[in-house]
Order: sequence, then C-alpha cells, then structure tokens
Amino acid sequence: MSRDLNKILNYSVLKLSLIPLMLWVISTLVFILLRIAPGDPVDAILGSGADAVSREILRNRLGLNESLLSQYLNYINNILHLNLGLSLSTEEPVLTIILKSLPATLELGFFSILSAILIGVTLGFIGLRYKGKKGDYIIRIIGIASYAIPPFWGAMLAQLIFSVYFNIFPIGGRFPVFQHQNHITGFLVLDSFLSNNFIGLRESLYHLALPSLTLGFLLSGIFSRSLRINLDKSLKSDYVNAAITRGVSRRRIILNHALPNALLPIVTISGLTIASLAGGALLFEVTFSWPGIALRLHEAISQRDYTLVQGIVIITSLLIVSLNLLVDILIALLDPRIEY
Amino acid sequence: MQNKFLLSILISLISLSNYSCASKKISQRIIVASSGKIESIDPARANTLKTIQLLNSLGDTLYELNANGELIPKLALEMPTISKNGLQIIINLRKNVFFHDGTLFNADAFKFTFERFKRIGTMNYILGDKIKSIEAPSDYKIIINLKKPSSSLNGLLTSVNLTPISPTFYKNYSDKFLNEQFVGTGKYILRRFSNEIQVIDPNLEYWGKFPNNKGINFVGYANSSSLFGALKSKQIDVLLSNSIDDIQIDSLRLLSKNKKLREGNSPATEISFISFRTNIHPLNNLNVRLALAKSLNRKFISKKVSYGLRIPSRSIVPPIFKNGNQNLWPKYDPSEAKKLLQKEGYCNGNLLNIPLTYRSNVPADKLIALTWQEEIKAVLNDCIEIKLNAVESTTIYKNLSLGIYTAVILDWKGAYSDPEAYLTPLLSCSEIDNGVCKKGEAVYSGSFWGSNKVEKLFLESEKVIGDKRLNKLLEIEKIAANSIPYVPIWISSQKAWSQIKISKPTFNGAGIISLSDLKLINE
Repeated sequence: MSRDLNKILNYSVLKLSLIPLMLWVISTLVFILLRIAPGDPVDAILGSGADAVSREILRNRLGLNESLLSQYLNYINNILHLNLGLSLSTEEPVLTIILKSLPATLELGFFSILSAILIGVTLGFIGLRYKGKKGDYIIRIIGIASYAIPPFWGAMLAQLIFSVYFNIFPIGGRFPVFQHQNHITGFLVLDSFLSNNFIGLRESLYHLALPSLTLGFLLSGIFSRSLRINLDKSLKSDYVNAAITRGVSRRRIILNHALPNALLPIVTISGLTIASLAGGALLFEVTFSWPGIALRLHEAISQRDYTLVQGIVIITSLLIVSLNLLVDILIALLDPRIEY
Repeated sequence: MQNKFLLSILISLISLSNYSCASKKISQRIIVASSGKIESIDPARANTLKTIQLLNSLGDTLYELNANGELIPKLALEMPTISKNGLQIIINLRKNVFFHDGTLFNADAFKFTFERFKRIGTMNYILGDKIKSIEAPSDYKIIINLKKPSSSLNGLLTSVNLTPISPTFYKNYSDKFLNEQFVGTGKYILRRFSNEIQVIDPNLEYWGKFPNNKGINFVGYANSSSLFGALKSKQIDVLLSNSIDDIQIDSLRLLSKNKKLREGNSPATEISFISFRTNIHPLNNLNVRLALAKSLNRKFISKKVSYGLRIPSRSIVPPIFKNGNQNLWPKYDPSEAKKLLQKEGYCNGNLLNIPLTYRSNVPADKLIALTWQEEIKAVLNDCIEIKLNAVESTTIYKNLSLGIYTAVILDWKGAYSDPEAYLTPLLSCSEIDNGVCKKGEAVYSGSFWGSNKVEKLFLESEKVIGDKRLNKLLEIEKIAANSIPYVPIWISSQKAWSQIKISKPTFNGAGIISLSDLKLINE
C-alpha cells in the first residue's frame, strides 16, 4: 500500500513539476495571440473620436508603446513574481478582478456538476431498472439529446420557458436587485450560511437554480449513459453472479458491489466535464448575466484588455490542471488496478 | 406510478409559479435595467452611455440641455457672460448647494473637478485646446480663460464628465480614479455599487425638485434577450434601449401601442453614416461620391433594417442642435446616380467596385450593408458593385486613420450637447493639402477630407453666438453635403419602456433618461 502511495506521490510530483512549463507555454501563446489579433485596447477605451495625442498618451500610460519583447519580458517577470498586472480598461489589479468573479463561476460549476451527477445517476438507474422498455428508451433519448443540444441554445430555451413564459425563475443575475448580500468569501450560498442569513440562502439558491439545473441537465446525459452501461456490465460480471448464488440481496449487490465499480468511470468523466465546463460556462454566463469569470473574459476580449485576458486564462488553466490532477489521484486511490 | 410522478412535477411547477419573481417584489423602488455593466462611476472615466445615464442622476452639471434643446443652468446661476474679446467666460454659481458628504459646492469644487478631468480624464480630449486656465476669484464665481474665443464651451459644460465632485471626498483621488463611490450634488445618493447593480436613494438635502420615486435599482444584463424577457415577464420596471435589437424594439413598440407598456423617446442624437476615403481613387472623384450618395435609399433601409424605427437622415447634425431639420445631402435618385457614373466612364460593362466595410459586432451595420448592396443590384446593377467586408469595431477604429477602408459604416454621438460635437470630429482638419486632410479629426474618421473654408468657418463660429453661430455651423454642414466625405444614413434616439404601473419615461435633450421623473402610478 505504501509502495502504491509512493507511486501516486511520484506521479503527482511529476505532474506538478510540469505545471510551470505548461503555464509558460499557455501564457506565451495567449500573449502572442492577443497581440496578433486585430484591434487595440486604446481604441476600445477611447472609441473612434479621440485624437492622436490622446491615443498616444494613453498608449504610453498603458505601456503599449514599448517593444513586444520588452512587453513580453515584463509580463513573464510579473507572473514570476505572482503579479498579474493591472487591467488595461479598469486599471484595477487583475488578481482582484479575478477574485471578485471566480467564486460566482465556481459556485455555478459546483452546483451544475452536482445537478449533472444527480440527474444523470437517477436517469441511469431508472433506465437500467426498465431496461428494454419504453422508459429506458425515453431516458436514452433524453440522454443523447442533452449532450447534443448546444449549451447556448439550451440556456436560451430554459430562460425563455422558465423565466419569461412561466416566470418561475429570475431571468439572470446572482441575487435579487432589491436585496443586499454581505460578501465574505464571494460564494453566496456559503456566505449565507456563515452570516446565518436564510433569506439570502434561499435567494442565492433560487438564482442558482435555473442556470445550474440547465447546465446540469445538459451535462447529465454522459453520466446517465455511462452509469447505465457500466452498471449493466458490472451486474453481468462473475463476482455479481457469485454474490447472487450466495444469496446476497439485489439491493446489497447493486450498492456494495456493482455500483462502486460502475462509478469509477464517472469520476473520470467528472474530471473531463470540469474542463469542458470552462468552455460551456462562457455562453451560460452571458445568457444568464451570471457575473462570473467567463462573462468577465468575454468582456475583456471585446475590450482588448490584454492583461485581464492573460490573467484569466492563466488562472483558469491552473485550476483545470489542478482539478485534473486531483481526479487522477482520486482514481488511483479508488481503483487499485490503476498504476502510474 | 407515472401519473403520480407527473402530478408531483405539476404541483412543484405551480408552487414555484406562486414564488415567481414578479410577485415577490414588495419594494416601492423602481428597477431600471439596461445592457452591460458599469466599470466605474468616476465622472472622469465615464465613457459609456449607461454610466452617463446613472451619473446624470447622481450629480449635476453646470448646464443641461432640456427636451426642447434649450440650454438651461443647473449648478450655474445663469447663462455665462463672455468678455468683449471672447477670451474669458464668467459663470456665477448657485449658492447653498451641498455635496452628498455634506460639504459645500463652490467655485473651488468646480475648479478641482475640471482640473482633475483635464489631468486624468479618459475622454479629456473633448476639452480640445480651448482652455488656458480656470480661476475661482470668489466662492461662487468661476472664470474660464480661453486660448481663443469658443462659443461651444457652454455645450461642453453640459458634459457629464464635468459633473462637480466633492474635493474633500476625492482628496486622495485627485490623480487616480475612484471607481466604486461617487459624491456629487445630484438628486440621488449612491447607496450601493457593484459592476452589475447600483442602488440609488433620493437625496433628501437636494437643492432642487425632489425625485418622484423612493429610489432606483439600476441593473445590467449581459444580453438583449434577457432584457427583453425581463421586461415582458415584469421582473424589471423600466428598460433602457441602449443596445437591444431592433426586432425587440419593434415588439415593445407594439406592446406600448396596445397599452401594455409605456414608451418614452429621447430626441434623436446618434447618427449613422458611411465614411468615404476621399484621398484615393475611386472616391477622390466628387461625381462618384455624389452618385453613391444618390444611390442610398434611406427610407427603404430604415424600413427593412429597423422596421422604420430609425429616422432616415440627410444631415450629420441632429435636428435638436440646430434650427429645424434641414436635409442637406442629396436625396435618393438612382437615375441621376447612373448619369453621373456614365459621365465618369462607368456602367455598360465598366463596374465601379466599392469595398464596403461594416462593423461585424453591430448587427444593424451588417443589415444596412446588405440592404444597400441588394438595392444597388436591383437598380444600378451595370454600374456599381458593392463588396462587403466585415471587421470588428475596435479593429476598424484602429485602422481608420491608416486609410485602409474605401467606405465604412460608422456611427457617432457627440460627447456633449452642441452641433460642434458632431461637426468637429468629422470635418475638422489641422493640416490640409489640396483638399486632402493630412492631420486632424477627418483623418481619424477615415475620410481624409479637408477644406480651408470649413476651418475658417469653424474659427468664425467660435466668435459668435446664438443664431449667427448656428448659421455658420450650417454653412459648414452645407459644404460637407456638397463635397460628400460622408453620407448620413439615419439618426437614432434612445427609447425606454416602463410597466403600466410606472409613469412614461422622459429624457433630456442629450438623450439621458430622467430617473427622478419615474413614478409609481398607484403611489
């Protein structure tokens, strides 16, 4: 066991040591791509009406008149000193902007994954329970449809049906416009708990419900299909047959023997889903006016805010890599067959 | 089993409906929504319409343009006095006006605001090279010393960027922005600020008329369909139209016609136009430019693109800023356009190729370009061929002065309420060589067109006031209309819709909504 732990530790160290290299590659690519992309932050800030002098002054102030090499070296030097710089459009520290927006995205991501797992696992179980029957086919169609629907279209449809037509959920935002929520950590659900604010908790969950359930539903198909297939395979395996012959109840067979094995691929899928969430969240946050990091990135790109885009990409990459590493370690701990 | 499951879903939906957003609103406050977020509430940084709308309620300027286009004093006591040589403007200020932090508004406060804007203001270029210095000889008198006579300065003093702020409160921010707080003298006090939601309460110490409501919650949504949906589902009380799609505007107009909403319109202040690069073939030929101007069917474009919501315009200055609505540019006349092109050797196999660039992120621009292209195909097929080119707006702005675009669709809203704020950015030029602008505003708007006569008239217009000045500016516009460096397409106004329980939204002459006039009808 200790030898296995050593292997996992070695693997983790190796992966962690690759993170700086990967971040350097990503940050360099982002730097180059932003500079070769058409458009200019000065024009985005001043619009078309400013004269040459004003443009030049702003360009100097933002450091955009320096050579590209000098800008790049400054940028890398700043990253090495854990300084992501100042936003070109707001002149606020990039890290402050990220820390303000990130909790909203993480909260939405967490509840979406949770909804996806709950919906997916429930549908997977029901599908297997009614295997080959009408219910199974309906669930399979739902599963396929859920990951075939483009996220932006699903989001707009959900908003139109549940917010505009039925008026059940708020159309967007994280909190009611006529109430005030104290920010402690930035995670509104957690903050409500910490401040014993149960009205705040209700409102936060109410605002989270539609975007997270919609995103959860769109991600659930892969979970339900995977669970159904793996659980079905596990239930046909020798160790399950052995358990049946020993007279173990079906409930215990499923919960204690088949399910843990069937859930392993789901852990892997969760890791991959987190990465795909980074892309999906952008469109979701724009549709639901969710003030998270993806919406901020969308705005920063349109404003050609180089430093903010760079900062957001670096932090997001770091998060995804760390989460994937965590999933790898978790799988290794759960499945003794896995070797690194 | 299945029935029970369906029943439980139905019951859940019904219970959630009872907990709907509209029914939950118990506040007497009014929720006003518009597109986007506010990055900073600092007047020195304000450069978006949304920020300007909010700042206008939180602060007062020295002068304001009312809905009839008349300049009225606000923090100024009366209209300014101009010295005989035109180089000094003397303004007496209103007494007993207090900032939201309790300090007194006076000449020093305005001087502080002005100098701060000049030093750090994002849009400080609107001050141009006109002002030499500003003096505060007594508590309630300011003297603006000019480098040359400038009759447009009154208009400049309506700019929200020059909203007086409390020198005491901004003591540590005289050289940097204060993004999340604001202390001015306005009808409302900023109670809470985040990029997405701003909460403002009535200022009980206000020197003028009190607001008609108990406060405003100003909220931003990231897209136009959310805004539209929020108004339709009654989750918001008032919607400002600063960037919702024309099809949605049309739908809301229909609802207001059916008395389900109230619609308010501002005077039209935003112009859309095509800029022609006049220094290079083929648009260095006046007849070619004239032919293109005559091939533009504005009424058809307005009907097809904006459902007739935008007013076709043959002028580059909004009517509210001048005496009447003069149509100066040539009207749609395809047969005359054909004759002109034939005269220049085009048609009958020799096509005039015009690459037309539009901003890919502005949906209306694409539709204008497509409609014009189709119109040309229908009526001038053997003479003109328009090739479309989509480029993102920031790229266009960057490249305009490089002379990359032969013809490009743009729009413009003056930074302050004055005809000069429309004419100077398009027509002014500091270095002219044989009708070509080498240096100046005309380069930055992509036309490269310059006229010594226009420059002379600009100088003359600064020395006169009232109708005389307007006539000089009209003369400038006429020269532009005859030389056609630009072709105006239409002119747009701001719109706002309120729920039927709220009073009709009203605007001032600069197209800024008056939040203080919004009122709950059943109050």
